[in-house]
Amino acid sequence: MPADDAPDGTDAGPPYDCPYCDGRFHRESYLSLHRGQEHPDALTDAERAAFEAAREEEEEQLRLFRLQALAALVFIYFGFLLVYAFSL
Amino acid sequence: MRHERLRTVGAAVLVASLAVALAGRAAAHGGSLQADDARSLAIPLWLFLSTGGGVVGVSFLLTSFVTDRDLIRDIHDRRREVGLSAATRRTLAGVARLVGVVGLVAVLLVGAFGPADPLRNLAVLVVWVGWWAGYTMTTYLVGNSWPALNPWRVGLWLREWLPAPSPSYPARLGSWPAVAGLLGLVWLEVVSPLADDPRLLTGVVLAYTLVTLTGAYVLGETWFERVDPVSRVFAAYGAVAPLYSDDEGRPRARVPGTGLEDEGLARDASDVAFVAALLWVTTYDGLVATPPWRDFASAAVGGGVPAPLLYPAALLAGFGLFLGLYRWAVRRGRRDAESYREPAELARRFAPSLLAIAAGYHVAHYLGYLIELSPALVGALAAPLSPGAPVAVVLPAWFSALALGFVLLGHLAAIWVAHAVAYDLFPSRMQAVRSQYALTAAMVFYTMTSLWIVSRPYAAPPFV
Repeated sequence: MPADDAPDGTDAGPPYDCPYCDGRFHRESYLSLHRGQEHPDALTDAERAAFEAAREEEEEQLRLFRLQALAALVFIYFGFLLVYAFSL
Repeated sequence: MRHERLRTVGAAVLVASLAVALAGRAAAHGGSLQADDARSLAIPLWLFLSTGGGVVGVSFLLTSFVTDRDLIRDIHDRRREVGLSAATRRTLAGVARLVGVVGLVAVLLVGAFGPADPLRNLAVLVVWVGWWAGYTMTTYLVGNSWPALNPWRVGLWLREWLPAPSPSYPARLGSWPAVAGLLGLVWLEVVSPLADDPRLLTGVVLAYTLVTLTGAYVLGETWFERVDPVSRVFAAYGAVAPLYSDDEGRPRARVPGTGLEDEGLARDASDVAFVAALLWVTTYDGLVATPPWRDFASAAVGGGVPAPLLYPAALLAGFGLFLGLYRWAVRRGRRDAESYREPAELARRFAPSLLAIAAGYHVAHYLGYLIELSPALVGALAAPLSPGAPVAVVLPAWFSALALGFVLLGHLAAIWVAHAVAYDLFPSRMQAVRSQYALTAAMVFYTMTSLWIVSRPYAAPPFV
């Protein structure tokens, strides 16, 4: 995957290349997740530990995101409820 | 005849559907939209539009709660074979080809010599009600049977009997001819009385027949793969359907919509453009029949813009806007997701999700039309040359709620497909979520545009 020609600044910073395929990532945790998902049989012990750590970090972020999404849903629901109540 | 009916039905469906879903009180007025000031939206326009956009946004939030990779993959991979023997398949294919050819001949003959009243003419009813409304629905609800039915495929037989030319199709043309063909057909449909004049319709079908037979003879299968807009439309809708045929032509079944997640469905940038064109033409069809368009067109023509240029210019400008917005959303999503993948690759993977929305709008526009006019179609089929007086079905009030399900379903399917594709593309699930912000915003825009159009009263397109 050629990646040096991104005008939007996405590709700033050092890329993390996958040693098993041509995958290329912005963060070490993305690379760890990719290795664990796509090359599970080729992992060294250190890579496996990195995969587990990255997955825990991802879970943590997802938990936070779910809370935010839930808050947004509640906000939208009651927002519309109120708007409908006052505009009809 | 067609526009007014379509717009009334489509508006009733969309308005009532959203109203039923989100505000009980509006539902009572949902079916009586259009025409004069006394019968307007029961809720303010801004609230109507933001409710529609809100439904799409909420679908995104709800979908993002599904974070189990295995579940998402299982839903996509849940496919099984449909037991049909090779002999049965051959028989069915033969019957389909016969039906297609007989249908085409009947349309040409009755269109040229039958009754001039469009509601009693078999050609008009078969083309618009039977084929473009009814048959198209089967391509996304059941499966794409057009390759079997397509009567113009006899052009391929000519290649076997006659010395077949074998020019190489320039690869860089891609599906751009089909994009141009689709836009061209819709332009023709808007500026001419194609749905009201059986003789004109026959002429267009005849011209299409000549062009397609020649094209199929010269280019072979490539013609239907890359150039013919009709085949491309049905192939695109067929990707939504539960039934499909695998690489060896055996029929298989899948969860409806999950076919859109397959890699390689959009092969290049021109296929992405075709999806955007398919989504845009439904919108354009409605847009040119609104009072704001009438005012705009009058002002533009008054300001010196030649009237014949106005419609194609607006068609191309809107197409560019829809496509440009989609591309922007993909690039923006790429940045949000911090991905090194090529923007073009992401555009190809996410584009098919929009087909589910296009299919949903097709149902909303045409289901009522199909049911209302199907007795007229049956009457014309029973007595092609002297059908009785046309009978129209009067739709019950709850009907709009039924079609609502399909509109919402199209959006839910699109959001789900994009969600599943993002999970397939990005190693981190947070990347997948972030990649969807801009795309969801684009879908909200498409929805609100369509809702704005269907909530405008009908005004016949000027200068045509």
